[in-house]
Amino acid sequence: MSRIILRRLMELVPTLLILSVVIFGLQRLLPGDAALAMAGEDATPELIASLRAQYGLDRPLPVQYLDWLGSVLQGDLGRSLRLNAPVGQLLIDRLPVTLQLALMSMLFALAIGLTTGVISAVKRDTRWDHAANVSALIGISVPNFWLGIMMILVFSVGLGWLPASGFTPLSEGLWPGLRSTLMPAIVLGTAIAAIIMRHTRSAMLQTLDSDYVRTARAKGLTERRVVIRHAMRNALTPVITLTALEFGALMSGAILTESIFNLPGFGKLIVDAVYNRDYEVVQGVVLVTALIFVFVNLLADIGYILANPRLRE
Amino acid sequence: MMPRAAVLPPPDFLPEPDMAEPLIEVQNLAVDFLSAEGPLRAVDDVSLSVERGRTLGIVGESGSGKSVTSLALMGLLPRRSARVSGSVRLDGRELLDLPETALRDLRGDVISMIFQEPMTSLNPAYRVGDQIAEAVERHRGGNAAAAWTRAVEMLRRVGVPSPELRARDYPHRLSGGMRQRVMIAMALACDPDLLIADEPTTALDVTIQAQILHLMGELQREAGTGIILVSHDLSVIAETCDEVAVMYAGQVVERAPVAAIFEAPEHPYTLGLLGALPARRARAGGARQRLPVIPGTVPQLHEMPRGCRFQGRCPFRIARCAEPPPMEPVGPGRESRCWRTPLEALAA
Repeated sequence: MSRIILRRLMELVPTLLILSVVIFGLQRLLPGDAALAMAGEDATPELIASLRAQYGLDRPLPVQYLDWLGSVLQGDLGRSLRLNAPVGQLLIDRLPVTLQLALMSMLFALAIGLTTGVISAVKRDTRWDHAANVSALIGISVPNFWLGIMMILVFSVGLGWLPASGFTPLSEGLWPGLRSTLMPAIVLGTAIAAIIMRHTRSAMLQTLDSDYVRTARAKGLTERRVVIRHAMRNALTPVITLTALEFGALMSGAILTESIFNLPGFGKLIVDAVYNRDYEVVQGVVLVTALIFVFVNLLADIGYILANPRLRE
Repeated sequence: MMPRAAVLPPPDFLPEPDMAEPLIEVQNLAVDFLSAEGPLRAVDDVSLSVERGRTLGIVGESGSGKSVTSLALMGLLPRRSARVSGSVRLDGRELLDLPETALRDLRGDVISMIFQEPMTSLNPAYRVGDQIAEAVERHRGGNAAAAWTRAVEMLRRVGVPSPELRARDYPHRLSGGMRQRVMIAMALACDPDLLIADEPTTALDVTIQAQILHLMGELQREAGTGIILVSHDLSVIAETCDEVAVMYAGQVVERAPVAAIFEAPEHPYTLGLLGALPARRARAGGARQRLPVIPGTVPQLHEMPRGCRFQGRCPFRIARCAEPPPMEPVGPGRESRCWRTPLEALAA
C-alpha cells in the first residue's frame, strides 16, 4: 500500500516539471511584456530596455525559466511588479477565499449529486427519476454567469437574504463567513452536482442490476442495506475519480464566479494579472492551482485504491 | 474410518415419498412481465413439489422459464415489472400472500439460493467471511464475533482449506470452485429448509462440478434440506435428483421420478432432450454420430401458439395439438402435458 503511494508520488515529479515548462512558456507567448506595461504608453525605448535589464527580461528564455524554477523551489514565487508585493503573500491572502468557495461548492455538488443520483437509480423510471434527470440537464446547460445574476436578483435584490457581493472572512464569525460564499458556491456547484448525479445514477443502475446485489437480496437483507452497503459501496468508487477531475472545472469556473460576486480570490487575482501582464502573479496562481489539482487527484487515486480490494495488494 | 452409512439413519427411517407432507408445494404458478405491449407470460401453469431431504431437478433449454421460476419462488423478481400468481406454499404457509418484509425474513433463512455465476455473485468489496456472517447476523442475531465464527465453520463444512485464513480473503483471491463453495456456505449458513440452486455448476470445470454436486448431496443428507436444482444438463440431473420436472416455453411439460424419465419419457420434448444425450447415443450405437438436435427453436413469449407449445417442433403432432393439452397423470408419480401419451408405441 505505502509502496503504491510512494510510486504515485514519484510519478508526480515529471508531471510537475512539464507543468512548470508549460506555465512558464505560455506566458511568454503573449505579445508584449511586463516592462512595456510598467513603462506606460509614452516610455522611451531606453527606459523599456533598462526595465527589461533590471528584471532580467532580456536574458534567454531557458535562463529565465531555470532562474524562475530555482526560486520557486525555494518557495520564492517572485514579486508582483504592479502591486509591488511578493506573489507568495498575494496568494496566501487570497487562498482562503478560493479554498472556501471550492470546498463549499464541492460539498454542495456532492450532497445534491450523490443523493439525487442514488435515489434516481433506486426509483428508476418513476416521476422522481424523470424530474431529477431533467433538472440535471438544466443544471449542466445553464451558464454560470446567468445563474449567478439570477440568484443575486432573487436572493439579494428581491429577498435580501444574502449579500450580493464581497467576502467576509470566517474569522469574523462562522455564519457571516459562510454566508458570503453561499450563493457563489451554489452557482459554481450546480453543473458539477448535475454531472455527479448522472454518473452516480448510471453507476448505481449497473450495480443494482449486478449478481452480487441479487445475492444480497437473496440473503434477506433489507432494501436499505442492499442499496447502501452493497450497491452504493461499489457504485461510488468511480465517482471518487470523477469528483477529483471535476475539481479542475471548479477551479476554472471559480474565476468567472468570483468576478460576478466580486470575491477577492484567485480568480480575481489572475484576471487582473493577465490584463496587466503581471507574469509572476499569473505564473504563481496557475502553479498553485495546478498543484492543488494534482494533489486532489493524488488523494483521489489513493482513495480509489483504498476502496478497491483488488488494487490494494 | 467409520463407514458413512453407520452414522446415517437407515433408509426406511426416511418418510415415504407419497405420504410425506411436501416442504414446498407450487400450484399453477404464473409469471407475467409487464411490457409496453402488455403483459408477457414467461412462466405458465407450473406446479411442483419438493419433500424434505429430496431433490427436484428442473431441466429445460435456456428461455424455458427455469430461472424465472426459481426467482419467483424466492420472491426476487422485481415487483414493479413482474406479476406472480398461483400458489407457493412453504411448510403450509402461502408465500405469495406474504408482505415483502415477511418474505425477507424467510429469504436466506428458510429458503436460500445459489446462482450460476460464482465469479460475479459475491460482492468484490467485502471479505467472503463478512459476506457469510452478514446472512447469519441478519437471521440469527447475536454479535459479530459469533457470526464470524459461524462463517468460518461453514467454510470448513463446505471444504474450503484453512477456512480461518480464507474467510479474510476478498472474492478475487479465490478460484471459481472456491467461490461457489463460499456461495453454498452462505446459502446454508442459517440451515435453510429449502435450497434453490440455479445452474450451480454450469460455470465450473467438470472436475469441480462433480465436487460441488457431491458436496451439495452430502450437506443435504446431513441437514435434510430440500433442494431444487435447476440445470440444462441432463447428466447433472440424472446424478443428483430424485424427481425431475421438464420445462418448455414456460410450462412444466413432464414430471416424473428420475429413473422413470430416463427409461421412458412421456413427452415428445423430453424424448428430444434425451436424444441429445451423448452417452445415450454412444450406447445406442453410432459412436461418432452427430448430436441429434430438436429442429426449430423455442417460440418467443409474444408468439406463443395457443395449443401445445411444442407443436411446431413435434414429430408426433396431430390436429388436436391446436388445443392446449392439460397436465395429466401418466403413471405412478408422473404427469405429462401431451395429447399423445403414452408415447411408447410412437417412439419405437
